[in-house]
Amino acid sequence: MRRLPVYLLIDTSGSMRGEPIESVKVGLETMVSSLRQDPFALESVNISIITFDREVKQILPLTPLDELQLPEISTPESGPTHTGQALKLLCERIDAEVRMSTPDQKGDWMPLLFIMTDGKPSDSMLYKEMIPEIKKRHFASIIACAAGMNAKTGPLKELTDEVYSLDTVDSTAFRKFFKWVSDSIGVGNRSIGATEELELPPPPPEVNVIV
Amino acid sequence: MAKTIRLTATDGSTVEFVDEVIGSGAMKDVYFSPDKSYVVGFFRTPQDANAKDRLQNIVGKYREKIFNQVGGDYWENLFCWPTKLVEWNGKLGIVCPAYQKHFFFKDGMFKGKEKEGKWFASAKLRNKFLKPEQKGTWLTHYHMCLQIARAVRRLHAAGLAHSDLSYKNVLVDPESGRATVIDCDGLVVPGKYPPDVVGTPDFIAPEVLQTRALKLGDPNKKLPGIQTDRHALAVLIYMYLLNRHPLRGGKVNDLDAAKDEELSMGAKALFVEHPTDTSNRPKIDNMAPSELPQGDVVKRPYTMCGPYLKELFDRAFIDGLHDPSKRPTADEWETALVKTTDLMQPCQNPDCEAHWFVFDNSTKPRCPFCGTEYHGQLPVLNLYYSPAKGRFLPENYRLMVYDKQSLYMWHVNRFITPNERTKPEDKMPVGDFHFHNGKWILINRRLPDMWDVTEPTKRQIKPGEFVELTEGRKILLSGEDGGRLIVVQLVSN
Repeated sequence: MRRLPVYLLIDTSGSMRGEPIESVKVGLETMVSSLRQDPFALESVNISIITFDREVKQILPLTPLDELQLPEISTPESGPTHTGQALKLLCERIDAEVRMSTPDQKGDWMPLLFIMTDGKPSDSMLYKEMIPEIKKRHFASIIACAAGMNAKTGPLKELTDEVYSLDTVDSTAFRKFFKWVSDSIGVGNRSIGATEELELPPPPPEVNVIV
Repeated sequence: MAKTIRLTATDGSTVEFVDEVIGSGAMKDVYFSPDKSYVVGFFRTPQDANAKDRLQNIVGKYREKIFNQVGGDYWENLFCWPTKLVEWNGKLGIVCPAYQKHFFFKDGMFKGKEKEGKWFASAKLRNKFLKPEQKGTWLTHYHMCLQIARAVRRLHAAGLAHSDLSYKNVLVDPESGRATVIDCDGLVVPGKYPPDVVGTPDFIAPEVLQTRALKLGDPNKKLPGIQTDRHALAVLIYMYLLNRHPLRGGKVNDLDAAKDEELSMGAKALFVEHPTDTSNRPKIDNMAPSELPQGDVVKRPYTMCGPYLKELFDRAFIDGLHDPSKRPTADEWETALVKTTDLMQPCQNPDCEAHWFVFDNSTKPRCPFCGTEYHGQLPVLNLYYSPAKGRFLPENYRLMVYDKQSLYMWHVNRFITPNERTKPEDKMPVGDFHFHNGKWILINRRLPDMWDVTEPTKRQIKPGEFVELTEGRKILLSGEDGGRLIVVQLVSN
């Protein structure tokens, strides 16, 4: 059975401290519990979480949905946002965790990546270097979320066409965002349109699509 | 409290709903009526004149064709069919009956969720997450499949195709053996309304997937219709009975997962249990423990579904996989499923997960699920029909006997089949079987013309009387046209 790897990259820099990060945690919990009610997700989804601030950590290695426990997420007082470093770790973890197909064995589905940030990469050199590396990993889709007014969408747009911005960083906005993330994860199991390619469900109204 | 909206449907009747979305599907947002007896689903995007016309026909003409006939009520349980069309704030909506209670999990970790078929078709989900009582028995799964086949047969008979049959669009209840087809608003009328969707992964017919890249209007592009419904139906039945996909095996057709998927389900689709081409056999070593034992085609071969289904699976996944005209019809599935339930035996192991198995035609029957051998005498009734008076020919139809089993009119007369047209009086058993004082007997309850014709001096068995089932016993169930003769075989173990 192929697994569907889902990588969540979450900005935990100082500016996320307080209500924003608490809202993210609630959003994640809601997402996991709603995915656990979805037979398609329960059968194939595996989730990994990488947080990034000054430090970059994979706080949850790729784990089957039904076995995972959400780890504690903490934020430092202040400091830089090492988004580039996070992408680097992501590539390493994908190379180690995602099973590639061989002539004798079916591998995993192409992974999904969700990245959420409320600022901009402090390590912009590394960030730029990592963009082609990410492209090489053949994600099924990459969805970026710029949370709050200070989030820069420019760097995210280099990563993917699917950039969405949240005006507010409260729990309602994050809850809707993660609801949408879980709908997007389940999309592979839906009816496929007769004319168009596989499409993500429309984002919730609170999310702005960056064109 | 959200307010209640009142609308007038296109048929002039009143429709009410509470202005609070209870769920969102791929295309619609759904609202409850105040008494929760029906739901209203509004399409998020504007529907063109063609789509509107189609929906109008689905709630009107096509609905009447199926439901407004003698025995039409029967279909209320087998379909969740849109009843009315409404418009609200420029959005088109359809009114559907609410799903019946037994199609929701009533407790456990999925309490309140719809019982979509996937829960019961996937080995991993069954083995890891479902409680034993939620899983029903193997027999109830045959009953579910029978109802799905019957519903599809009815659609096809009306010239309609569902076009997106999948375990998402069929709700099932293994506890009671019931199933209902939902999402009927995408119905396709071949030649009139083109399909909106190509289907759901796992159920899309190979020829549709193979030609998916072609533009709409290209004569070579294959779209869903009755023949692709037949493929989806075969996959559904295979998955419900065996908990694995008939085409998902070990063969890697491309190193890229998406391309591999497209080939393995499309151009290069190959039955995992193909008798001569074994290249797509599932690889047990690559499976998670939760996928076993169902994933093992050696331990659980499709032949355990009995001879009638084996033949149809062969036609669906070998002869007809890439040749749609050879696929079995829904009607054939229905007949084969009915005949197979007559071949079923309760497993003597009280802890057996399946509880029932199909008699394998051997002298030493054993349950293929738990391996328990049947001990004792097992009567097998071979049914014969009479093409001319006094002559009887075998019908390739058998009835397995178990304690407290019932005999029905469709066993007695070959012109009676159990389906929506079965008369109420024919739904009542006409006799029953018992293991009584160490002997197998058949008690006649209502058959006026039943005879033991083993000896030249035949003997009538009147209602209320019984006949012992012994090797070679011949029992004429009815002298009427279509009446059957039973020849008893006894398997002793």
